[in-house]
Amino acid sequence: MNIEEYISSGIVESYVLGLASQEERSEFENMCNQYPIVLEARNAFEIALENQAMQNAITPSADVKSKIFNTISSSAKVVSIVEAPVKKINWFKYAAAASVILLAGSLYFNFSLTEKNKKLSGDYTNSLTELNTIKKDIQVLTNKSEIKMASLKGTDVSPQSYTTVYWDSTSHDVYLLINNLPKPPSEKQYQLWAFLDGKPIDIGFISNDYFIKQNSLLVKAKSVQKVQAFAISLEKIGREDVSVPAGEVYVYGGL
Amino acid sequence: MNIKTTYSEQELVALLQERNEKAFGYLYDNYSGAVFGIINSIVTDKDIANDVLQNVFVNIWKKIESYDASKGRLFTWMLNIARNASIDEIRSKGFRQSQQNQSLNDNVDFPGASIGPVTEDVGLKKVLANLKSEWRVLVDMSYFQGFTHEEISKILNIPLGTVKTRIRSALSQLRTMIQP
Repeated sequence: MNIEEYISSGIVESYVLGLASQEERSEFENMCNQYPIVLEARNAFEIALENQAMQNAITPSADVKSKIFNTISSSAKVVSIVEAPVKKINWFKYAAAASVILLAGSLYFNFSLTEKNKKLSGDYTNSLTELNTIKKDIQVLTNKSEIKMASLKGTDVSPQSYTTVYWDSTSHDVYLLINNLPKPPSEKQYQLWAFLDGKPIDIGFISNDYFIKQNSLLVKAKSVQKVQAFAISLEKIGREDVSVPAGEVYVYGGL
Repeated sequence: MNIKTTYSEQELVALLQERNEKAFGYLYDNYSGAVFGIINSIVTDKDIANDVLQNVFVNIWKKIESYDASKGRLFTWMLNIARNASIDEIRSKGFRQSQQNQSLNDNVDFPGASIGPVTEDVGLKKVLANLKSEWRVLVDMSYFQGFTHEEISKILNIPLGTVKTRIRSALSQLRTMIQP
């Protein structure tokens, strides 16, 4: 069979109209590659068919186009949904990393908050204790009419020193307000004396802590039944007989 | 209204393969009528034909990557999608039932129905009307009804070789007939 006969055998139309078998199709495609005249014939029939179809076009329903575009738009959305899990994995990674960082940060923040709370709670307790002490001291100083006051003035040893003693004539409690006393050296401490008939009575030591912390208004001393005067001496810590003053007297005052 | 009213077939294919909806709109506006004409020559029910057209264009959009320009023109490719979809439709159970309900007489003896004079024929079918009747029925059964050569041979009780030869002859005539 020559090419002319092949072209006019109906294979061109058969191929273009989709009626050729797979075997015929392969053969025809090979012929098109080998013989431009076959390709030309195919192209000519395709154009003729297209023109014929264009001339016999029938207008479809007006809503078909919008239906098609709705379908292809929604299929585009499906594609993006299919892609989503891939992105999600990444997102989860970052989210997981972020949450670990957030968790660590949160734990640290909680820890430091707890520490802060502990410290604040301690500070609050201390403040409350101090406040209650001061309240009590103020009650002592103001509310009781039986309280007697003695101003202890500085001696020649320390003229600037000045303290006040409050003595409850009913309960016999003694309170000391230190208005001004120099801070004692670490090996010494102040001792408070009550004087009755010229004889000293030991009514206690003033803790050196007072001068360091300074967290109380009044220092409570030992009770004394009867008293005429008070004095404060600076004594060596750990001396044997504490019942008589051995050191220098810093303040002295009568009731 | 269109800024660019025409695309070369190469441009159009390239744009469609990039999923360009504007190019797809152009394709629909320019070719839907011709494609619908082919569908109508196979699927006679207008509503069903519109559904088929919709599916055909959705498939064109989805399958545009598989279009190979070396094997034929874009319209030829679209035409074959439309023909295959139409034949699938008339061969579907649902379609056959709806046709039986509508016009029992027309389709009882389907080969004969195609032989008889059909006044509404348009397009390719109109061209077919000019063929010799023994050829026309073969082309009609083959192209418009999607029967294989073997099926036609059995239905019409004609040897397979004769079916093939006649169809080929008919198609070769078709070319000269549709050429302007």
